[in-house]
Amino acid sequence: MSMNMTLMMVGKTRTPTTPGLAGRVRRLTLAAAIVLVAGLGAQTPQRIVSVIPAVTEILFAIGAGSEVVGVGSYDQFPPEIANLPRIGGLIDPDIETIIALRPDLVVPYATQVDLVAQLGRAGIPLFQYSHGTLSDVLTTIRQLGDRTGHARQAEDVARGIEADLAAIAEAVSGRRRPRTLLVIAREPGSLRNLFASGGSGFQHDMLWLAGGENVFDASVSRAAQVTTETILQAAPDVVLEVRAGQALSPAEVAREVAVWQALPSLPAVRNGRVVFLTGNDLVIPGPRIVQGVTRFAGALHPDVALPTR
Amino acid sequence: MTDRPGPDASPAAHPPVPAGAGRTRSFSLRRRLTFTLAGFGGLALVSLLVAPLIGPTPIALGRVFDPAIPFADNVDAQIFFIARLPRALAGMLVGASLAVAGVVFQALLRNPLATPFTLGVSAGASLGAMLVITFGLPMAVAGVPAVPVASLIGSLAAAGIVYAMATLRRRGLSTTVLLLAGVTLNSFFSAIIMFVQYSADFAQTFQTVRWLMGNLDVSGFQPIIAALPLTGVAFVMFATLPRALNLLTLGRDSAAARGVDVLRTQRVAFLSASLATGAAVSLAGPIGFIGIVIPHLVRLLVGADHRIVMPASACLGAAFLVACDVVARTAMAPVELPVGVITALTGGPFFLWLLMRRP
Amino acid sequence: MLQATDVRFAYDRQPVLHEVSFDLVAGGVLGILGPNGSGKTTLLRLLGGLLRPQSGRIALDGSDLREIPHATLAQRMAIVPQETQLAFDYSVLEIALMGRYPHLRAFEVEGPEDIALARAALAETGTAELEDRSFMTLSGGEKQRVVIASALSQFGRRAVDAADTSDGQAEVLLLDEPTASLDLGYQLDVTATLRRLNTERSTSMVISTHDLNFAAALCDRVVLLRQGRVLAAGPIGDVLRPDTVRALYDVDAAVERHEAAGHLTVVPLTRRGDAAPGGRAGR
Repeated sequence: MSMNMTLMMVGKTRTPTTPGLAGRVRRLTLAAAIVLVAGLGAQTPQRIVSVIPAVTEILFAIGAGSEVVGVGSYDQFPPEIANLPRIGGLIDPDIETIIALRPDLVVPYATQVDLVAQLGRAGIPLFQYSHGTLSDVLTTIRQLGDRTGHARQAEDVARGIEADLAAIAEAVSGRRRPRTLLVIAREPGSLRNLFASGGSGFQHDMLWLAGGENVFDASVSRAAQVTTETILQAAPDVVLEVRAGQALSPAEVAREVAVWQALPSLPAVRNGRVVFLTGNDLVIPGPRIVQGVTRFAGALHPDVALPTR
Repeated sequence: MTDRPGPDASPAAHPPVPAGAGRTRSFSLRRRLTFTLAGFGGLALVSLLVAPLIGPTPIALGRVFDPAIPFADNVDAQIFFIARLPRALAGMLVGASLAVAGVVFQALLRNPLATPFTLGVSAGASLGAMLVITFGLPMAVAGVPAVPVASLIGSLAAAGIVYAMATLRRRGLSTTVLLLAGVTLNSFFSAIIMFVQYSADFAQTFQTVRWLMGNLDVSGFQPIIAALPLTGVAFVMFATLPRALNLLTLGRDSAAARGVDVLRTQRVAFLSASLATGAAVSLAGPIGFIGIVIPHLVRLLVGADHRIVMPASACLGAAFLVACDVVARTAMAPVELPVGVITALTGGPFFLWLLMRRP
Repeated sequence: MLQATDVRFAYDRQPVLHEVSFDLVAGGVLGILGPNGSGKTTLLRLLGGLLRPQSGRIALDGSDLREIPHATLAQRMAIVPQETQLAFDYSVLEIALMGRYPHLRAFEVEGPEDIALARAALAETGTAELEDRSFMTLSGGEKQRVVIASALSQFGRRAVDAADTSDGQAEVLLLDEPTASLDLGYQLDVTATLRRLNTERSTSMVISTHDLNFAAALCDRVVLLRQGRVLAAGPIGDVLRPDTVRALYDVDAAVERHEAAGHLTVVPLTRRGDAAPGGRAGR
């Protein structure tokens, strides 16, 4: 089974409202590309500033790492960025630092409208980016490759990811898909203010590729606050929790898992299938997505031998 | 003593009675108190009984109370006893606490615009919650998770600071200083909150913003039991206040001349209202509007006597919040709306309408 | 019955009263007269037991105020402040009933007797018809009379209480500038009410005021207070003279008995010394 087919399947499971976002992103990207072509010609950038962790990871993966001169304050991967200048984050980009780095390409997030306007006034070329679905990750990789003059490496990376994802999908194919509650945030130590992945977005796609079925498939949003009652009613076979940020000790993880004992009727709780995963690879839609999907698949299908790279 | 009416003397026997004063209209405070409490208490009771029956999932009451089905297998019973009943109880506790705390703060500050959050208690609670969510401080105490513990500590710290400021400079308690210190502390804590949010990552910021909107989904009785002792102490203290608060509205001297220990009353009022607010906010986040709408609504309905206003506000606050929570969890199910949005959206216009129709 | 002996008081080492002594006889009306800032209100608060003198003694029927429990004191002595602004909307009857609070035990609510006593107190100040009205909507004069009624209802005894309290103890009303914020008509209403209370109930009163004509209409004895010291004290006919008025206010005035009013009147004529505002403050 080819990767394209897999992604089409992913696409089919999505509700019809989501292409709006993805389409908008593509349009923005297209618009930015047209502006760039018109204004400056298709010059290959030599000094790139990346504001968003996923983009930084993509740039390094496609061999554009040596051209990156500044990265976002929350970026942690790959290790090579340790000594690069930091230019703020999603809500507080530092325009002065960015301009002082004399970039010839900046990759901001689509919602950073002020930053985009200021950089536009400064005449700095832009590539606008926004999170979307899993297939958007591959599109972004290829587009960034074209834009930075690393098209061939980008194509290799994208094909590699497609192949790896296809291999995982192959490994779990034929298995019953456990109905899974994918928890993306909640208050520490309790089940309060719990947010779960809805029926769209790259985390929902990761869950499907890893051989799971989202209990909130029908929900249109990417993240939804769900109540205790909704969870009880959904009765998931597996509870999969992802937490980015600081690593938790095994004791802390055990304590967070134990919180679910409050809902003893959940099949996931009764069968001891509450899994708590930490790490940024689970929440950043970049090249490490394969790693994330592998970890999801391992949690959902512990008896399956997964391909290793 | 002959010129004063004895217990059996009819008012007409009293010499300087002008025309009209001889009528014996029935006015019994005890009866008023009984009727009002029966009415408002009934409302609260109905809300507690009805709310667990309403929800996005249809549940069969027969199954909920069927002893033949083990609890661990009985989803209907679990939805009833884990998801809905605790929510309704938490709503009652929080609604009653915030409403009475609003009454007490308004009387203490002699300011009808005061709310339970005016003196910085909620800002302190928010800061505490935010610090735990952002920095993951391990503050869990005896099985109570870290966020409520930290928000309670934050609220009591804020109350302590405001109280110290209002009493430090001179003997007695200056309500003006109390108000100014509270408002200042509110903005000061808000600034720290913004600073903490600024240095938090996106997911944490989102979590804290959501906490600030208030939420009653306590998923079990344990958080309620944890908040109960503090709330209990606060309500016992509330019970000693009504008469003194009535007299305090006449002024400090008038109250003191009628045997009220003004400073002690102010202390008890401040402490109990802060305690109730802190416990409520640590249980459900800072749910707005109840602390101002309910007391005024009750006063419009039953007058200003705190002996009636306080229990009536407790009952109406409880019923109102439970009702708002039903809307919050069913209106857009399975997604939950912030209950603070519902309290403001329903309470606000209703309150304005009441103000407009007042003669 | 209410006796002040060498009373001295200071707020934060700022002396307000120096060795003030006087005596209120049962059934008497004592005026404390003096310009603004002379210490009248402080003296009234001392008499009401709200402040403690730094030295000297205030006694009610021979016992020091300090030794009388607040609730007991409240059943014999009541304070009427200059103005009453409510933050919340009580009815007139509710205000009058607040006078009954010192008689109630913890968690006890007013019974039929208390309500009858409060209504009788309203009747005595001519405000019985207002009992259902909101206090906030009353005129200044009506408010003041309702507050006086509330004070009077403090004195009322129920059958239960009458047994264990010795009879015949007179009651004292302490009024702080009771007419200062009222216009002429309401001033007369309040004056008439107070006079009637004094003659018909023999309520003793201490009235602080800067209004000499109001004092002349009501008081049988006066204490002239200037910068915390007693300038003169005694029966009003002896004390209220052009020279004492001059000493008190730096004003030349005519003091004459007005036939129609039936009491002394003071007509201010000219300001003495330099007429600059605050000119009298130094001396």
